Amino acid sequence: MPLPEEPSRQGIIRNLLAQELRSLLVSPALWLMLGIVSVLVGYSFIQAVALYSQASRTALSFPELARGMNPLDGIFVPTFGAYYLSESLLLPFVAIRLVGLDKESGALKLLLQLPISPLTLCAVKIGAMGLLWLLTLLPGALALLFWHNLGGHISLPGISLLFAGHALFSLTVVAIGMFAAAISDSLPTAAMLSLAVTLGSWVLDFAAGSQDGIMAIVSKVSLTAMLRQFESGLLSFSHVAAFLCIALFFFLLTALWLHPGRSLLSRTGSSLLLLVILGSLLAGAMQSHRALDLTENRRHSLNPADSRALGQLQHTLTITIHLNPEDSRLQDMEHDILAKLRRTIPHLVVRYARSESAGLFAAAGDSQYGLIEYEYNGRHDESYSNSPREILPIIYNLAGIKVVQVPVPRYRGYPLVADATGCRWWFYGLIPLLCLAFGIYGLQGRW
Amino acid sequence: MKHDDTNTMRLRVTGLDKRFGSYRALTNISFAVGSGEIMGLIGPNGAGKTTLLECLTGLCSVQAGTVRWDDRPLGPDERNRVLWYQPDNILPYARQRVATTLSFFRRIHGAGKDDLADLVKRLELTPVLRQPLLNLSKGYRRRVLLAMALLSRQPLLLLDEPFDGFDLRQALSVMALLRRHVTRRAMILSIHQLSEAEKICDRFLLLDQGRLLGAGTLEALCRQAGLAAGSTLEEVFLALT
Repeated sequence: MPLPEEPSRQGIIRNLLAQELRSLLVSPALWLMLGIVSVLVGYSFIQAVALYSQASRTALSFPELARGMNPLDGIFVPTFGAYYLSESLLLPFVAIRLVGLDKESGALKLLLQLPISPLTLCAVKIGAMGLLWLLTLLPGALALLFWHNLGGHISLPGISLLFAGHALFSLTVVAIGMFAAAISDSLPTAAMLSLAVTLGSWVLDFAAGSQDGIMAIVSKVSLTAMLRQFESGLLSFSHVAAFLCIALFFFLLTALWLHPGRSLLSRTGSSLLLLVILGSLLAGAMQSHRALDLTENRRHSLNPADSRALGQLQHTLTITIHLNPEDSRLQDMEHDILAKLRRTIPHLVVRYARSESAGLFAAAGDSQYGLIEYEYNGRHDESYSNSPREILPIIYNLAGIKVVQVPVPRYRGYPLVADATGCRWWFYGLIPLLCLAFGIYGLQGRW
Repeated sequence: MKHDDTNTMRLRVTGLDKRFGSYRALTNISFAVGSGEIMGLIGPNGAGKTTLLECLTGLCSVQAGTVRWDDRPLGPDERNRVLWYQPDNILPYARQRVATTLSFFRRIHGAGKDDLADLVKRLELTPVLRQPLLNLSKGYRRRVLLAMALLSRQPLLLLDEPFDGFDLRQALSVMALLRRHVTRRAMILSIHQLSEAEKICDRFLLLDQGRLLGAGTLEALCRQAGLAAGSTLEEVFLALT
């Protein structure tokens, strides 16, 4: 007797996706998250507009001050900062349900018998979560609309990058949440594991940011630090790759650990193999300095003439910095010039000559403290300045080149005095009420 | 009714071993199931009935043993083409309406609307179709789970405790339904209530502490236990365990 014809794989995936969407829509966690996001986004937006307006009042009279009025930094980064909170603290609770609820209810044992691989099953679950994640963008989209209606300026590349950063951050959090649920016996344990990662990432970011050695490297790949790159308007390929590597790692781990039919030894071995492969990919990705400055004021870029000249340096430029990592001068230098040089000069080596005595008063016993040394093609120079205005001429002098800066259009800024308090009914009233209504509707199993 | 005719057997399990650490959950289990046959998996609590079903399905890894279908080896990844396992004590998509959940399982199994309508009628599920599974009584939940299982189209159906929670009348009605469905496939039912097992199963596998104590028809088990023909399954069970 022949086996019955299997339903088509596409048909199963389509029905499964619809089922996953229904499962999420009946979940009170989703609607609670959306309601809280609305309040947080609304509060952040209204406060940001108030502060921006306050600063704009002075800036409107002084064009120099107006150049500092950038809506991406002043309005959208703080507004979308509310999403960071919800993605770190609330999204894990929704994500763990994707797998955890199926495990608890026994549905997973049925789903794993379908003629699709655990990998496909996980992909469908992430796909459903992705579609509903778009729903959570509603308050952010409303904030954009209100800002536009208030006469505010919107930089599309900057906003798109911010959106992409939060999408990658959320994808990673969802993958971590799913993995936590796959290896946990209960939803509370999975929630604790997920929060340990998201909150741990936040702690790591501010606690280890000023450390050196392994802690500095780890802090660079903390989720919070990586998201900040996107907020700054710099499309860094290494950070996109890092987010994708981490998300893919946890996604594949979920698929691996979801199916109980493989032995523990086999799953552990495959997990270690994945760790080695994706860890190597991640390490490789973090070495790349390719980036695209999407800011309107080109704050991450040197003058095009400088970029061209530095990009053509044939020999290795070695910069030795006698500053400790917690020193604000080093932090300013990293941001103002070193990061730009790393993205521009093909052969650059930066060495950090740490002082023996660490801490705020390290300089007292070290005569070289604060010195920055430059070596290029056998020539040497040194300076105590951390300003690009002094550093670039030193490099050009060592390389024996002259650079004439080309004029670039000056960023004029977008000061705006506006009042966004009228929007509060949407963020604090209408959207939370709709979430409540949909949540109750879902609890009755009507989706 | 099928008997121990080795030529008609479709599923053959040989030397199945399952250990959890040093604990041997299943030891050298071998048996065969033929088409159109209802095999009863009986044994006391902790005998390894559910573990055996999960090992057969591939949801649980094994240390040794082979599973063959129509004399061809069946790897864990291929089992879903041949068998469908409905676990005990599950509550899938509990907040969703029963109609939506059944409709989902109908579609993923590729079953027809008529098949579902027939099951809903025979299992008397019409009054609860608009209710979430979570709100239903134990008996109704069992019937919904049974409907989900019977929507599957694999030639071998594994049911864990299908009669648990049913009163006598309901159990008899479900037995009639299973008997109707087994004409097209084979079934392995894990049952701890021996009186019910005796009523519906053609052959039995008697498990105790992960070991197969006996396999065959009630008459064969009676002979093995040294009991007179016509003894009940309970008497056989007590004699062999």
